[in-house]
Amino acid sequence: MNPFLGALELILSGDREIFLIAGTTLRFSFWSTAFSTLPGLALGILLANHRFPGRRAAAAVVSSLTALPTVVIGLAVYSLISRSGPLGRLGWLFAPPGVVLGQTLLALPIVVSLVYTGLSKLDARFTETLVTLGAGRLRRLASTLFEAKYVLASALLNAFGRVTGEVGVSMMLGGNIRWYTRTMTTTIALDTSKGEFERALSLGILLLTISLAINALVHAAVKHEE
Amino acid sequence: MRSDAILSIRNLLFSYGTREVLSIPELDVRAGETLALVGPNGSGKTTLLKLLNDLIRPSSGSIRFEGRPAAGDPGLRARSVYVHQSPFPLAGTVYRNVAYGLRVRRVPEPEIRRRTEGALELLGLSGFARRDAKRLSGGETQRVALARALVLEPEVLFLDEPTAQTDRASGDRIRTVLADIAARGGTTIVFSSHDGAFAEALADRAAFLEEGRLLRIEAGRARRPAPKSHAPEFPA
Repeated sequence: MNPFLGALELILSGDREIFLIAGTTLRFSFWSTAFSTLPGLALGILLANHRFPGRRAAAAVVSSLTALPTVVIGLAVYSLISRSGPLGRLGWLFAPPGVVLGQTLLALPIVVSLVYTGLSKLDARFTETLVTLGAGRLRRLASTLFEAKYVLASALLNAFGRVTGEVGVSMMLGGNIRWYTRTMTTTIALDTSKGEFERALSLGILLLTISLAINALVHAAVKHEE
Repeated sequence: MRSDAILSIRNLLFSYGTREVLSIPELDVRAGETLALVGPNGSGKTTLLKLLNDLIRPSSGSIRFEGRPAAGDPGLRARSVYVHQSPFPLAGTVYRNVAYGLRVRRVPEPEIRRRTEGALELLGLSGFARRDAKRLSGGETQRVALARALVLEPEVLFLDEPTAQTDRASGDRIRTVLADIAARGGTTIVFSSHDGAFAEALADRAAFLEEGRLLRIEAGRARRPAPKSHAPEFPA
């Protein structure tokens, strides 16, 4: 049978394991994006709205971190949560919290960088308008978030898309354990190495569909902003 | 400082880096007067308006509001408002824009509705309440910005070229509203304008600026009757 048709049949038959793996991937991605949201917004707003020594250097560092290889993050977190590491007692290695921690660190610079870039583009008249109308700091912050809501949505969707498609962190910190920490990308890597192309392809199709959906949402958000 | 000065400038200097943008040794804005800032592009009119509204701070010298330093003065912030030459519409509806300053001031919702609807009607925007403020013409945006300012019933109104970005109908409406506010007195208006006839008709005095220097101050039209109230009269 054609592997592509076989992959489609696997999806359409509702293969339990495939959808469990897809669900695990989305769950990890959701939590890591959620955990990166608050610090990401705070740091992005801090970089965009406050002048302090080293601000540009900090922005450049954050921008560089968006391209950090996932295996480097995996390695760093591994050294933290492995049995001999400072957080070893938590038992997060080869367990969902370990993967989520690593993916959160992967998503964080993406959120910070995109929020910073988006807010930096806000017209100077915007802040002056809020100030002259009497808005205090907190009101200005809330109004800024409302004004830039599509930029923020785009940042979060980008981060979600990035962690959904990563393999290094999931493999190193999750261990690719069946029914537990196995994600779409780690399964694709494993199945391909075993020659099980149909299952790898079916997950590839699902991953591609998710990526396209996220990209469509990002484009819709950006277009709305323009 | 004159006893009737609501804003007074002394030895004001404003620079961008080493470039001196504005230098005014002395200028008083009298309470209740309408003062026009007249001058070509780059003469420092916008900078002066923003300095007076404490949106930017002088490099040196002082600006005082009712005798107190204007910088960070909550009274100045609460009782004055600045309207950009090309106003920035906030995200959301026209109604949200106009009501924004009232919400900031925690005005009760029924009063917000009454005053917002009144300001919209005053500026000929009654049918615009639910419209997206980002999708308006230049003239409509200018009217929304003026409504957003007037709804606060400010004692001091800073207007940067209030009719420059407008079509004829919007410009006429704005001129009529401002003339009415100025005629009733009680509101101090400081505005810049390229429209010489409009400035002449509206202003009590005109300050002429060129390349960041105050050249002279001339009297405008005749003095008005004593002020009744600073609040614009919105339609019932």
